[in-house]
Amino acid sequence: MDSQQLTTLTGVIDKKMNRQLKQYMDICARCAICKDACHQYVGTGDFKYLPARRAELIRQIYKKYFTKSGEFVPALYEARDPDDNLLDELYDSAYACTGCRRCMYYCPFSIDTAWILSVAKAILIAAGRGNEMLGQLADAAIFKGDNAEMFNDVMISGFEDIQEEVREITGNPNSRIPVNKEGADILYVALAGAHTIRPAAVIFEEAGENWTISMFEAANYGFFYGDTDKARLITKRYIDEAKRLGVKEIVVPECGHAYRVAEMFYEAWSKEPMPFKISHILEKVDEYIKSGRITVEKGLIEGKVTYHDPCQIGRNGGIFEQPRDIVKAVTDDFVDLIPNRQEQWCCGGGGGIVAMDEFKETRLASGSKKVEQLRASGASVLACPCENCRLQIEELNEMHGLGLQVWQVIDLVVAAMPLKGKKPVHV
Amino acid sequence: MSDETNIDLELDLKGLLCPLPMVKVSQNIGKVPVGGVIRAVATDPGAMADIPAWAKSTGNEVLQAEKEGGEFVFLVKRVK
Repeated sequence: MDSQQLTTLTGVIDKKMNRQLKQYMDICARCAICKDACHQYVGTGDFKYLPARRAELIRQIYKKYFTKSGEFVPALYEARDPDDNLLDELYDSAYACTGCRRCMYYCPFSIDTAWILSVAKAILIAAGRGNEMLGQLADAAIFKGDNAEMFNDVMISGFEDIQEEVREITGNPNSRIPVNKEGADILYVALAGAHTIRPAAVIFEEAGENWTISMFEAANYGFFYGDTDKARLITKRYIDEAKRLGVKEIVVPECGHAYRVAEMFYEAWSKEPMPFKISHILEKVDEYIKSGRITVEKGLIEGKVTYHDPCQIGRNGGIFEQPRDIVKAVTDDFVDLIPNRQEQWCCGGGGGIVAMDEFKETRLASGSKKVEQLRASGASVLACPCENCRLQIEELNEMHGLGLQVWQVIDLVVAAMPLKGKKPVHV
Repeated sequence: MSDETNIDLELDLKGLLCPLPMVKVSQNIGKVPVGGVIRAVATDPGAMADIPAWAKSTGNEVLQAEKEGGEFVFLVKRVK
């Protein structure tokens, strides 16, 4: 590694360095409590996935270039250069991590290993070693933002097709998916998939909401990739759209990281106050049910239902009770997973890992705790408000023969609504 | 156009939800030679924006993106 590249890579740490990171670098006691908290370490038994070990890779560079002891006696203080070997280790550690932050929850010092690994990803990107797939997905999203007119017709055509399905479900020929509606109260930013639009549209229309649909998707692969500038640009697409339409509130879909990106990170990335209220769709649906704006009936969902807290919505987003209240509103046969809420096990599918084939074996092995929990619950239906979690759990479901139906929460709600149209097919 | 184009790889992406159709095309583009063509069939309408956006941003080319009944058929040429 030449000196210029070394300066670039250590410069990434220097730029990210603040009191918080310095504390994380200095304070780890190597107690290894985090090993029992990490689904990936527990599921694979592989030392490289131990959270303290992942963070230690950044700590080794830190010791070499940011401490005198590591600079002068590197062997004694386990200080290392960010050479090819270290960068290879860093790649596996950082991109395999789902960012669930369960290790932080159990760490006596609350060391945020996921945050340390965001520094690792920034180093990898600076070294030209960022994950190619995540980078491509991020770039495609930015391209859609920069060339929105190119996709206008196909987007509107897609919405019109989904609108027909919504009308069949509601039995109301006037149900709509409003597009580019100025003065709407809510901008709903769905995912690219129709399954996140259809049930939401049914609920918004039945609630009599003044809403409009975004031309962009809420998923943010720039966040998973580890490039905050790309992540900001991807989010900015619908923030600008919301400003143009003059809405009051942005509602994000059943997606883990989309909520956290909009609610918790965008202000810091853009350095401007968020001009809108950000809500998760389940917060809205809970309001609609409790205020009587939509009606749901019990008895229409068959089987025992359980609920998985996606890490980015639950432990990292603080939304625990509204989804449970919704599920309990549609069934009396609810059982919680053990443990749950802040202590919920990560399913192993977050952080963009489902898009990275190279980690497939690790990903599926790391779902072992989730499989145990699901089996022990005795449930036949799982409600799960995160796309990545659902993809992972559906794969685990098939692999381990769990016999579960895996549902979006809003699909459960629509199935429990007394509508005049035909019942939707659950996807 | 699909009748006249040599297809190097067929991808059945029916039932996959976005962005997985785009992910699968990206994962498989390296399996065809430069100049080769993937024919991909998806059912999620989001693919109609996702796959062309991916192709444009990666320097590949979508020769065809057509809706045929309830399916979306893409011919994607590997350019580099």
